[in-house]
Amino acid sequence: MKLNRIFLVSLIFALMISCSKDLLDQRPLGQLDESAIKNKTGVEKLLIGAYSLLDGVGSPNTVQPWESAGSNWIYGSVCGTEAHPGSNSADQSLMFEIEKFETTASNEFMGSKWGTVYDGVQRSNDVIRIMRQVPELTDADTVEYKAEALFLRAHYHLEAKKMWNRVPFIDEYITYSNNNYKVSNDVDIWPRIEDDLKYAAGHLPDNQEEIGRANHFTALALLAEAYLFQHKYDLAKSVLDLIISSGKYSLGKFEDNFNAATKNGSESVFAAQSSVNDGTMGANGNLGDILNYPYNNGPVGCCGFFQPSQYLVNHFKTDPATGLPDLDNFNLTDVKNDYGLLSSDAFVPETKTLDPRLDWTAGRRGLPYLDWGLNPGADWVRDQISCGPYVSIKNVYLKSQSKTFNDVNFWTSGANAININLIRYAELLLWAAEAEVLSTNGSLAKAQSYVNQIRSRAADPAGWVYKYTDDQHPELGYSVTPAANYFIKIYPGVWTDPIFAMKAIRYESMLELAMEGHRFFDLVRWGIAETEINFYMSKEKNISSNLIGASFDSARDNYFPIPQSEIDRTNHHITQNPNY
Amino acid sequence: MTLIVIGCLTALDASSQNMTTGRVTGIDGLPIPGVTVLIKGKTTGAETDTSGHFSIHAMAGETLIFSSVAHETKEARIPDNLEISIILPNVINNLNEVIVSGYVAEKIKNIIGSVAIVKPKELTAIPAGQVEPMLQGRVAGMNVITQATPGAPTLISIHGYGNFGDVAPLYIIDGIPGNINDLNPDDIQSLVVLKDAGSAAIYGVRGANGVIEITTRKGRSGNTSISFENYFGYQVPLSKGYDILNPWEMAWATWDALKNSNQPLNDPQYGSGAMPVLPDYLLAGNQTGLFEGDPATNDSLYKLNPDAGEVYQIVKANKAGTDMFHAIYSPAFSQNYTLTASGGNDKNRYLFSVGYLNQQGTLLNTYLKRFTVRVNTEFNLLNNLRIGENLQLSTKEIPDYSGNGNPGPYSASATTLASPILPFYDIKGNNYPGPNGVGFPLPLDQYKNTKLGRQNNWILLGNAYLELDFLKYFTFKTNFGGTFNYEYYYLYQPEVYLYRSDIPNSLTEGSGYDRKWSWQNTILFSKLIHEEHAIKFLAGTEYISSYGRSLSASRVNFFSDDPVYSYLSNGSLIGQNNGSQAFNSALYSLFARLDYAFRDKYLVMATLRRDGSSVFGPENRYSFFPSFSAGWRISKEMFAENWPWLNDLKLRASWGKLGFDGNTPLLNQFALYNGDGSSSFYDIRGTSNVAVQGFRQTNMGNPKTGWQTDIQTNIGLDGILWNGRLSFSADWYIKKSTGLLFPLSLPYVLGGATAPYVNVGDIQNQGIDLLLESKGNMGRDWRYDVTVTFTTYKNKIVKLNDNQNSFGQFIWLNQVGHPVSAFYGYKIIGFFEDQHDVDASPKQNGAAPGRFKYQDTDHDKAISDDDRTFIGDPNPKFSLGLNISFSYKNFDFSTFLYGVFGNDVLNYVRIGTDFFPGVQAKSKILLYDSWTPSDHNAKVSINENVVNFSNKGVPNSYGIEDGSYLKNKSMILGYTFNRNMIQKIRMKQLRVYLQVTNLFTITKYSGLDPESIGRENPSFFGVDPGNYPNNQKQWLVGLNIGF
Repeated sequence: MKLNRIFLVSLIFALMISCSKDLLDQRPLGQLDESAIKNKTGVEKLLIGAYSLLDGVGSPNTVQPWESAGSNWIYGSVCGTEAHPGSNSADQSLMFEIEKFETTASNEFMGSKWGTVYDGVQRSNDVIRIMRQVPELTDADTVEYKAEALFLRAHYHLEAKKMWNRVPFIDEYITYSNNNYKVSNDVDIWPRIEDDLKYAAGHLPDNQEEIGRANHFTALALLAEAYLFQHKYDLAKSVLDLIISSGKYSLGKFEDNFNAATKNGSESVFAAQSSVNDGTMGANGNLGDILNYPYNNGPVGCCGFFQPSQYLVNHFKTDPATGLPDLDNFNLTDVKNDYGLLSSDAFVPETKTLDPRLDWTAGRRGLPYLDWGLNPGADWVRDQISCGPYVSIKNVYLKSQSKTFNDVNFWTSGANAININLIRYAELLLWAAEAEVLSTNGSLAKAQSYVNQIRSRAADPAGWVYKYTDDQHPELGYSVTPAANYFIKIYPGVWTDPIFAMKAIRYESMLELAMEGHRFFDLVRWGIAETEINFYMSKEKNISSNLIGASFDSARDNYFPIPQSEIDRTNHHITQNPNY
Repeated sequence: MTLIVIGCLTALDASSQNMTTGRVTGIDGLPIPGVTVLIKGKTTGAETDTSGHFSIHAMAGETLIFSSVAHETKEARIPDNLEISIILPNVINNLNEVIVSGYVAEKIKNIIGSVAIVKPKELTAIPAGQVEPMLQGRVAGMNVITQATPGAPTLISIHGYGNFGDVAPLYIIDGIPGNINDLNPDDIQSLVVLKDAGSAAIYGVRGANGVIEITTRKGRSGNTSISFENYFGYQVPLSKGYDILNPWEMAWATWDALKNSNQPLNDPQYGSGAMPVLPDYLLAGNQTGLFEGDPATNDSLYKLNPDAGEVYQIVKANKAGTDMFHAIYSPAFSQNYTLTASGGNDKNRYLFSVGYLNQQGTLLNTYLKRFTVRVNTEFNLLNNLRIGENLQLSTKEIPDYSGNGNPGPYSASATTLASPILPFYDIKGNNYPGPNGVGFPLPLDQYKNTKLGRQNNWILLGNAYLELDFLKYFTFKTNFGGTFNYEYYYLYQPEVYLYRSDIPNSLTEGSGYDRKWSWQNTILFSKLIHEEHAIKFLAGTEYISSYGRSLSASRVNFFSDDPVYSYLSNGSLIGQNNGSQAFNSALYSLFARLDYAFRDKYLVMATLRRDGSSVFGPENRYSFFPSFSAGWRISKEMFAENWPWLNDLKLRASWGKLGFDGNTPLLNQFALYNGDGSSSFYDIRGTSNVAVQGFRQTNMGNPKTGWQTDIQTNIGLDGILWNGRLSFSADWYIKKSTGLLFPLSLPYVLGGATAPYVNVGDIQNQGIDLLLESKGNMGRDWRYDVTVTFTTYKNKIVKLNDNQNSFGQFIWLNQVGHPVSAFYGYKIIGFFEDQHDVDASPKQNGAAPGRFKYQDTDHDKAISDDDRTFIGDPNPKFSLGLNISFSYKNFDFSTFLYGVFGNDVLNYVRIGTDFFPGVQAKSKILLYDSWTPSDHNAKVSINENVVNFSNKGVPNSYGIEDGSYLKNKSMILGYTFNRNMIQKIRMKQLRVYLQVTNLFTITKYSGLDPESIGRENPSFFGVDPGNYPNNQKQWLVGLNIGF
């Protein structure tokens, strides 16, 4: 009897606990585990994911898209004397710290930029890591995937190198599960970047069916950039010669580089492809530059950021006789501006001779602003006292392209399909000119011819801005009267002085590439950041109150502070740049 | 299993029964109605009627048990004549009350855990609609931060903050995990809070945050009784919003700011020149600051057709100032009804209740509407077999706040801080987006549009069980139950011209369901040996499974805003958005519990639970959670029996280990890949409008992560003295939480995939809970009951990630050696008096006369990141609940006060209003009490149009205030009609009452309400971003009726 009872109780209990323990093995819902991604299509899609960070937007590591914008408008252009953050200094005050070179290591922008470029690096690594676990891939496939992935990895590393100099190189073996991620930043990574690019250049085809992919020449161009940053001019020259002599690229129309309808033209060497109305609610539409439209009732109306500097505008003055800029004294007088004037006050724009590229680069009062109408000045600017009277243009789409090349679903109308030109042929020509001047076997004449190619293009009236036929109705089109007194000539004669040549090349690079996120890194590369930026600040502070009290010290400010969070998270395996 | 049950059933034999009758009276000789009469050892029961009479099928020789809430329980043997009358004395304490806690029913006197019992009457004294806010101040050791928004969540923590994520306790409703906020509070029979490990460890991996167990009301044997509860409330917004400048003062403040910043004296609105002027028109086309008669303000120019790019708005200045606060807050009505019918006989018992709540908030279009139906039944199928169920069906509706620019209630008050010169509408009544464009729409339209969105829930919550007594000492119970929640929401947003952009109209619609079911099987062995040794042993299993799936879609550009047209199929083809998601998790557990009592004097309890959770990888899926408790009822000792003043005294101690898996993401153990349009798609072909699908690693995965473990030691003393003139319950505890589940802060060089949660970080909480109560009679007619709860804890982070000793964001920092969520930043030590002072002080960015001077914490003569220091602690030093009740004859009065003391609050509103830059309205402090060369004794730095390191540019101690407060949460005056008066209308009970909530708040805090939830996460609390204030008065009139 007793045994029966014990048996009964035990049986009931046994039934109770016999629930299958397999019930605790639950598959993750809604995501792919490694087994699901280890195939050819999976690898291809990882590669697309690695490309998708070229615009600097979409990494979970970034807080706001403009902090990591692939266009580098803050780090390259604002820090590079070309522009002010814009809006006013109460709005995005961390940006203003960056402009003044008072950035601290805990500035959120640093973490966002760092986090995005290394996310790009790891996405490239994911391609290689997963690729190696897919037996079905052909050798040709693996070579192509690896070459594209290494190209992208080099690009993202190069971005980090330009920003912070002392950065770690993260290859495909660095992972969380390998527990080897506390990589120090005291080893120069240029050789590793070069290796990646050499592999890419050696294995990528000359032409890619899909325009957004890196090809042989894209890889060479990036390699040339890497050489230039290391002052390896001979190597740079040989690579650039290869690209130029291939004839793959040529200069098109200047403004076509900044128009979604004409992007990926003959001049586009390497670009971040942007798209809108693609079902992503604007996410691929240059959100890094989303703030960079005129303010108030201007086009888009949000948010008044990225305002060109007076210093930049002054570069565009030309000599009425020679059609050349005054390389030394250009900043003594200002191109006429409407600083301090309300839109209702009378104003006549500058009548002196100007480089025609100005009105494709900086929006100024009284001039046609693309097809949006005449720029009314103060009404489009949030706070002239903070950031001066100008507005940006290169990143702005045409009014006639509304709803085609801007996204209809983003909360401002500013997400657009204009590509971010990471390398365009004009820049490559200027690099080549520089390499000709500074290499042991270069030619000043060749350098001059490269610069003059660019100036000739600018001099072609087909590429100028013209007045509207009716200022009240810009949609009716343009007259044949140039919008301003444009006058530009090529450098005559033959250059003989390499110092002058370099000065002219640097100056031309400002005219040609301003507002495209390159200048600051170039100034540092040329070793003139301190003199140039302090010179700029000494006068610019009169028109941009934020710069009062600011100064640049190359011993510290040539490179940005490494984000404190990264130092902390690697337990100080990453160390701070000097003097921060 | 079925076979066994049937086998047991057939073994039973029914015995013949006779009818016993009797009467129950009190000491005063008056009949006691509603006394439950049970046959001992059986479940047959009856109830006394209004004259105290009862009848029950019972035989001579059987024992009857008489019990009633307000009286002591007595037992009596049925004499041969089957007639019995008995006197029940009034109860002086609830020691013999039985509560269910940790799968086992136990008499309160034998409970040796740190357990608090909240009376249903205390709960419903706060007309909050939901249970969680009603708990504020009622339980010593529990911190409760409430919100004003109807239906909004409450932040509850028991015994301090034990982790950095979810600190909400586990809620058990009738034995099954559920959400108490979906319950009708009027349906609650008992609410028990398990605070220590001894009592909560039986819940294992879900118990670390403490457990709240709720038992819903059951029917009792006897005639059907019907009760009706009802109140109407009228809530009034605060009479005064923020103390901000009027338009004229604002103009002067602007001029001061420009002057102090050496900026030209001109402004788009206030003109230029030595004196500002107030314009008649703020905007006409793109011109600002215009006056009557200006041709630009001719209303024939007005155009607002943003689709066609034609915008010419004309907006008048409101020179008198717009009262934005009272535009979005207005008086609100609430009503609540619960009708309950219950009854039963010796075979079955039932309770049926219907409740309706319509709680309107003072913030425009905020509300909670809830309809509940509850059916609880129990059937004695056989003498040893019972089945029953508790089931609630409810529907709930709250607004959807997520519309264009609608900040929702979180910072509702702060939205009223637009400059008062702004009108809400332009001259044609269209929305005026404000002069500053981004980020600061005027609030009115957004809150009006709240009514275009709503969220509905249909919730089924309950359980069904079977209990079988067998082999004399055993009871088998199987209990199946859970929650099924179906949610539906939609949000229509009309086209708006906002942020200077034209935002098309849109509809978002979604629905989903989630279900969580539990199945418990337990066997209880219960035996009393020689009337001395009471042994209970319970063993059981539990399986919990959760699954949910939802979908949502949105469309834009609807032809018509008419609500009858707002269906997804009517939106445009472009801008479609669809999505769905799902989750699942499971828990499987074995547990056992042993209770032993020797003569009710020496009490011990041990529990052990083994949990397996699907959120952890196979390596760390299972763990054991033991606990031990012991109690000594000193009052039962011989020496104490000579102390007539001592009714009860119990010393308790417990130790136990608890777990917590709630902060682990369900996918934590897996390395995962995925892609979405915004993070990994790319237009690789350069088409401008096709984003090709791309993937990225989304989750790094860590299969080794296990649970957070809490080890808690508790020592307590409970006493009742002088027949309840004084009773107390005191606890001291120390809770060490180790292996906190915490997302690793991995370096960014590992990419953007979500870092795994791992077990790093230790927190220690140590505290004292104290409950004091005094109740009794004063003379014949006066009764009183005063209860004080006192809560204090010290919270300290002991360890964080190996790589770091702190983490935080904005102004919060969690650092080893400091409490959770302490405020961290630059400490303001004064102002720079003049240039000489600037030069003589440590080097500081932006230093200038009149700006803040920061403390050079590291004494390196320069102000840098390293000089940041702890500048405040949002954890209170202690909190207090005080309930005072009196009754005189038929009148009853009660008031409840709740206070929090010694905590800091960051008044974030002041960061916006006390400094000039920024778009908010400005405060009187800025204009009248900012630093000037002649007034160095100021409250805020010099008024200037610049943001920098030395004013509001970095987190500093400005705006951190003492957040102590004492609120009169409720005051009630009631009157109960004499029974003989209402008997004619067949009523048993009639009580009417008047109530006022939040009659007063005593605080030095300068904002609207110091009680601020900040965010619903303990890592970030104590900041007042301009909340919807939760100290608004509400007047209520209510009714309790019983039939």
